Amino acid sequence: MHDNKAARLGRRTVLAASAAALAMPAVARAQANPLKIGIQSIFSGPIALLGTSSRGAIQPEIDRINAAGGLLGRQIQPIYRDSKGQPQEAARVARELVNTDGCEILLDAEASSGAYAVQEVVRDLGVLCVHSNSETSSLTADPKLRVATAFRSARQGVHDAIVGGAHSAKVATAKKLSKWATCSPDYAFGRDTTAQFLEFLKHFKPDIEVLSQGWPKLGAPDFTEVITKILQAKPQALYSALYAGDLSAFVNQGNVYALFSAMQVFVPAMGDLPVLTAVKNLPAGIQSANRYLPTFPATAENAAWGAAYRKNNNNDYPTNWSWENSTAIRFIEAAVKKAGSTDGKKAAAALEGLTIDSPFSTTGKVTMRAEDHTLIDYAIGWGTTVPKEPFVIDMEPGDWGQIAELEKEWKKSNGYI
Amino acid sequence: MNRIVRDIAIGVLVVAVLAAVPHLIPSKAFQDFVIRCSSMALFATSLNLLVGYTGLSSFGHGLFFGLGTYSFALLMQKTGISLPVAFIATLLITTVTAIAVGAICIRLRLIYFAFVTLAMQMLMHSVIISWVGLTGGDQGLQGGIPRRVVAGIDLGNQYNLYIFAAVVLVIGLLMMRHIVNTSFGTSLRMIRDNETRAAFLGIVVWRVKLTVFVLSAVFASVGGIVMSLFVSGAYPELINWPISGDAIFAIVMGGVGSFLGPTVGTMILLLLNDVVTRQTEYYGLALGIIILAFALGLRRGLLDFITERLGGRPAGGIS
Repeated sequence: MHDNKAARLGRRTVLAASAAALAMPAVARAQANPLKIGIQSIFSGPIALLGTSSRGAIQPEIDRINAAGGLLGRQIQPIYRDSKGQPQEAARVARELVNTDGCEILLDAEASSGAYAVQEVVRDLGVLCVHSNSETSSLTADPKLRVATAFRSARQGVHDAIVGGAHSAKVATAKKLSKWATCSPDYAFGRDTTAQFLEFLKHFKPDIEVLSQGWPKLGAPDFTEVITKILQAKPQALYSALYAGDLSAFVNQGNVYALFSAMQVFVPAMGDLPVLTAVKNLPAGIQSANRYLPTFPATAENAAWGAAYRKNNNNDYPTNWSWENSTAIRFIEAAVKKAGSTDGKKAAAALEGLTIDSPFSTTGKVTMRAEDHTLIDYAIGWGTTVPKEPFVIDMEPGDWGQIAELEKEWKKSNGYI
Repeated sequence: MNRIVRDIAIGVLVVAVLAAVPHLIPSKAFQDFVIRCSSMALFATSLNLLVGYTGLSSFGHGLFFGLGTYSFALLMQKTGISLPVAFIATLLITTVTAIAVGAICIRLRLIYFAFVTLAMQMLMHSVIISWVGLTGGDQGLQGGIPRRVVAGIDLGNQYNLYIFAAVVLVIGLLMMRHIVNTSFGTSLRMIRDNETRAAFLGIVVWRVKLTVFVLSAVFASVGGIVMSLFVSGAYPELINWPISGDAIFAIVMGGVGSFLGPTVGTMILLLLNDVVTRQTEYYGLALGIIILAFALGLRRGLLDFITERLGGRPAGGIS
């Protein structure tokens, strides 16, 4: 008898529980109807930092929006997916996120080749897409590649080349540096970036002579050959487009040969915290641009953002990719609010020419330029390294008026306008 | 003759079923799956002509797959020719390249053959990476593929591309099936089982080997064309050596001894990729464990395993 009663109770409990379980999703759906944003990047392999340090900035922004009631009254549900750095996977994942998972917006945090593949998918699908990590200028500068609903919230190669050229020419004139050498990774990015830098350097200071150009292989563990070649050429200045792990290895090995005291070194990618902290003895006096620095712009908002990132991410340092992705979400938020819709065309119309408040700008505001869908007015500048925190000091901001003017000339010479 | 009619009938049926599916289940992911499957299955099956039927283990077959994507995408972008002409021209470029590469490689045997084919692929990969002006280097060929309209049908439309991929796959498989069933196919198996004996029986071994090398290259390049249309461009990852590894995995998982083994293997590989990528970032780990299970558990590809269990002997029969 006792057993029987227990069994009956059990059945009732089970019935009630099943009814609740069946009803739950319906209730949840009615309340939520989440706004899904597809976020794709490289989360595995040697450049997983691209994805993880992007996500590390995206998630807190989404949490902030959701805590404040969501976007258009809907909670944002991010769907992160790994493309493993393969363009064909990037294209597939982008389609899957929109067609199968029902994402209404794409945040493409892929490296350049993935971004180009995603761009073509967006052309077909017509959803709002923000590329947050590709710095290759042609993605937005070339009208043949441009897509009506795709934007870029990242820095751009040509901007870096102009500011780098202007700043380096100024330093070179002051210190009388006319004999130069270069050392950059041996692939399209390294060669393009170096050629562009030299072009703008010569624009500002025509009497530049390049004595030696070294092209180490990407991921090469040993830079001895390149370093001795540079030292033998006896230049007064050295430019390098090396970055990330290769750059910290290069600096560590260059220290052994006293490379950094033998000449004035210019390295645009030095000013990124993971690199600065990976170098054993950071030499003083390297000229470097900012990738991301919590001290540039030297505002309370930027410092607070940097500190919050570390708090949210096991004390890891934010990267250049982190601020670019934070900016992507802020633009998506502002554009969708303004358009009152996630529809690709409407949101893209709202995003064109949109200006938002940003901690990553010396003026406190960044703009999504209407004519070519790319980010401008972000913090871009050069400073000098010191061995201890804040690692890069005397930051001198680039002049956005000058950037716009020279960028236009550059576009004309490439047949883009 | 009956066999050919039967195979064609099955092929027509498969295309008809695939054409009907989107009207019943409107899943774009399924269409994407079939398009990628078509590309990779043609590639893997073409490699199996060498590995399974001739006993030539090529590690660099991705050369021809990548050559297909680049030749086709470049012809479409840089010249004004129509899609069918670019398609045929791509096959011609592949044929010429395969004759040159094959003439060097087929003189070698076993591991030497494998490594020289790999070296050839890496050479082509380096050329593509270095020739930035033509290929865009490591950033890939950007800007999409223009004029994707054939006889009024726009392959830019996903459903059309899906049908196109299905038809190309079926025709490609039928042609390869026909090749292995002819007396030429018998010569291939004879060379695989005993090359010296084949030579004594009057088979000109190098000619047969070179012919099958070129044929398999052409089918791989058709797979490349489908991939190029899918990603709307060409990227160095599509000609780098891991892509050859994908085809070898597909053969290993599906079965080297069955004609449809590589196709089944491709489906398993792509399904695993899609399912595992949705769940975890440790894709490589999951895939490694599953391949180990196949190698140590089944000790052969899935289709070979099933055929043997049913009491048959795989048609391509590794003896």
